[in-house]
Amino acid sequence: MNYKIKKIFTNVRVIILMISLVLAVVAINPRPGIEGVVIRNVITNSSAAEAGIQQAAPNARASSRERILEINNKPIKDEESYYNLVNSLKPNQSIQIKTSRGLYRLKAREKIEIIELNETIEKTIEEKITVNETVNGSIVEINKTTSRIIIAPKTKTISKGTEDIGLRVYNAPKTNLKKGLDLQGGTRVLLQPEKPLPPQDLGSLIDTMSERLNVYGLSDLIIRDASDLSRNQYILVEIAGANEEEIKNLLASQGKFEAKISNQTVFIGGKDIVFVCRSANCAGIDPNAGCSSSNGQSACRFRFSIAISPEAAQKQADITSKLEVIGDSSGKGRGDAYLSEPLELYLDDAKVDELSIGAELKGSTTTEIQISGSGVGSTEQEAVFNAMGNMKRLQTVLITGSLPVKLNIVKVDNISPMLGNEFLKNALILGVLALISVVAVIFAKYRKLVVAIPMVLSSIFEIVLLLGIAALIGWNMDLAAVAGIIVAIGTGVNDNTVITDETIRGGQRGVYDWKQRIKNAFFIIMAAYSTIAVSMLPLVFAGAGMLKGFAITTIIGASVGVFITRPAYSRVIEILLKE
Amino acid sequence: MDENTNKGQSADSAINNNNNAKDHKNKTENKIPKIKFNFSAIKNFYESQYKKLLIIPFALLFIAFIMIGLQAAKTGDFINRDVSLKGGVTITITLEQAADTLKLESALSSQFPANDIAVKSISRFGSQTGIIAEADMAEGEASKLVDSIEKELNINLKNTDYSVEIVGSSLGASFFKEIITALAIAFVFMSIVVFLYFRTFVPSAAVILSAFSDIVVTLAIVNAMGLKISAAGIAAFLMLIGYSVDTDILLTTRLLKRKEGTEMERIYGAIDTGFTMTFTTLVAVIVGLIFTQSDVIRQIMIILLIGLLVDVINTWIQNVGILRLYLERKARKAAQ
Repeated sequence: MNYKIKKIFTNVRVIILMISLVLAVVAINPRPGIEGVVIRNVITNSSAAEAGIQQAAPNARASSRERILEINNKPIKDEESYYNLVNSLKPNQSIQIKTSRGLYRLKAREKIEIIELNETIEKTIEEKITVNETVNGSIVEINKTTSRIIIAPKTKTISKGTEDIGLRVYNAPKTNLKKGLDLQGGTRVLLQPEKPLPPQDLGSLIDTMSERLNVYGLSDLIIRDASDLSRNQYILVEIAGANEEEIKNLLASQGKFEAKISNQTVFIGGKDIVFVCRSANCAGIDPNAGCSSSNGQSACRFRFSIAISPEAAQKQADITSKLEVIGDSSGKGRGDAYLSEPLELYLDDAKVDELSIGAELKGSTTTEIQISGSGVGSTEQEAVFNAMGNMKRLQTVLITGSLPVKLNIVKVDNISPMLGNEFLKNALILGVLALISVVAVIFAKYRKLVVAIPMVLSSIFEIVLLLGIAALIGWNMDLAAVAGIIVAIGTGVNDNTVITDETIRGGQRGVYDWKQRIKNAFFIIMAAYSTIAVSMLPLVFAGAGMLKGFAITTIIGASVGVFITRPAYSRVIEILLKE
Repeated sequence: MDENTNKGQSADSAINNNNNAKDHKNKTENKIPKIKFNFSAIKNFYESQYKKLLIIPFALLFIAFIMIGLQAAKTGDFINRDVSLKGGVTITITLEQAADTLKLESALSSQFPANDIAVKSISRFGSQTGIIAEADMAEGEASKLVDSIEKELNINLKNTDYSVEIVGSSLGASFFKEIITALAIAFVFMSIVVFLYFRTFVPSAAVILSAFSDIVVTLAIVNAMGLKISAAGIAAFLMLIGYSVDTDILLTTRLLKRKEGTEMERIYGAIDTGFTMTFTTLVAVIVGLIFTQSDVIRQIMIILLIGLLVDVINTWIQNVGILRLYLERKARKAAQ
């Protein structure tokens, strides 16, 4: 027996399995005893932001996020104790926050409301105006400062308690596995369109919204239309794990993007734009402009290139052919010639950028254009972060186009998970019970522990590997994942039964070569695997969100089984059973 | 005719040997009470009447089609949808004290048995601020639900404490069309793969037919039970494809690709392995069904349970019958 065990663990396939398992556990990073809360996001301009607490990237792995350990030397165990402590702060109270990255000191600010009273008082204000004056016989423009008296309403400042210090936290996750909407709950946003929409427009609005959120990187969401008893139209959005500010920025802005020359529209976001670069070589912080800081503020410029459709390029050529070429007037100091009008970019009717058009582009149907913008912050790192965030939002709007109507956010709530907080614990118990019953059946059938134990170990290993891959690629664990795991384990046990039957009973059926028996078994397994994998493929491309997740999880689970655990199992069985 | 009975007899003796071996082991291991079956009569019927047996799965398929068609004609939908897929009313209530959402959900579900009700909690800054109740009822009935909630939580709600919204389905209107298209393409892909492995058309068609029958018959049964399907339920139906393919590929490989033993011996060998496969899954599913507290898991398990039982008929009667017919025709052509 010892000789056999040694042979098992020195076998290549088993070694591959062991290494994969170790990698999977590392990827999952289980920390069952962890306490504290993790920062989801920092509200801009809050006292936490001013103290220097930095926002993590939205897709940052849970284990790398900053964790709050103590506030004023009191340990913070969970979300509830954090919020209890924060809600009990007095205005102007200083607090010290100890996190996994360091110590921060901040002051809870007072929430002030300014009320207008019915009385009025006189106020003196200074203004700078430009006047034409005659100086030495010629008319010149001079800036003068004048003061005038206006009547303004009298105001009273009242204190409304303490302003929230501006951190959104959640319980420190025990693993690197991201939980989806079903398991973790999320944010529910109720939006109201500015104008009522006819039903087919409502459908396309929902489609564009979900496309926009998907392009931005938020895929675990549900969008539905809703109305209240007075027939007001609403849109209901439920998203897992996103922060309120992101959602407000993405959903509430209509995202109407227009590029104009001389007030004529050249192209608009959406259908006129055939390609938006998102890869690092043509999108990111502008290597020529970079970042700069002044007065304690940093600013960084980003740029990315886009390609517009031939029709839009033709329109641009028509407009630019009518412009005149003028010398270098924009102070760029390179002596180039430019056209008399720039290309102006408008987002939601506000100008966001202005690009000078090189003279050589007059009348030419150029399809590549470079868009740039900037982001600011109190440190360079924050400025980079905000610049990349602005760039990503702009790219999203350009790709998906504008929403047909502006949406107003009516309310934002945090909702509990559909599956209940106890789900994972119950699922674990259920999984263990199911495995025990499978072992019982296998043992009753084959009467050999050397078959039952490797089979159940094989199933456990497959689950770990599947979860490891999920943690590695940042997959959201939701119902789809649960269903996919069940299928993967089910087919795994089935396949192992085939292997066991072929090898044990192959002798009775006249197949005496062990290699041939294994080959027979794997023919069945590979045929079944290919058929199942291929049947899930159309779902990956067609299905609505949840079914796509199910299809992908099933394919990954089946593949892990067929290529890693099944070969190891067949070798183990061969070693243990061969006389 | 003679050929058939000869084969039956040799298979009989092979199985008798196996049975004897098993009997010996049973006596020395656990004393499981054995029900005396007249094995040979059933086996003879199974071996000789396989063409007539084909009536059973096809009749089931036919009846299932009619049932689903009738349902579609009556309700416009061929499944019963739950509130997340169909839409309904949501009642948002702000509360001052925390409420047990699970308890409330089960209380409301028992008071409104014909409707699908879900209750979630809303929170702000970590503490519960209210609840959201979703139910697939018309807006006119929403007030009844509000009354029930008031009674359950022992509170009085003024108009300002709650709001009622009518929500649409969380799936796009084209969802079902997309799913059916995806399934159709999936079946085409599957038949191509099976054809590549077995090089004949009939087995490919049989595997697809079996998976298709599994889904359709299970769907009809689940509808007849009045079960309301959620997104998880739809996933469970797709899971049936995986389990169905496993047993069908096993049968087809053993029957068509192996040369040892007689045709019936290979079929019985496949039944042996196949039943083990189905039984292990069934046991796990039943354990899950008994011990789970989650409605979602319960729905998945019920669909899997019914689907696996239906698969037994579709694999070992329908698929076997089709393959045996095919082999018989092939032998007849070779003999000519």
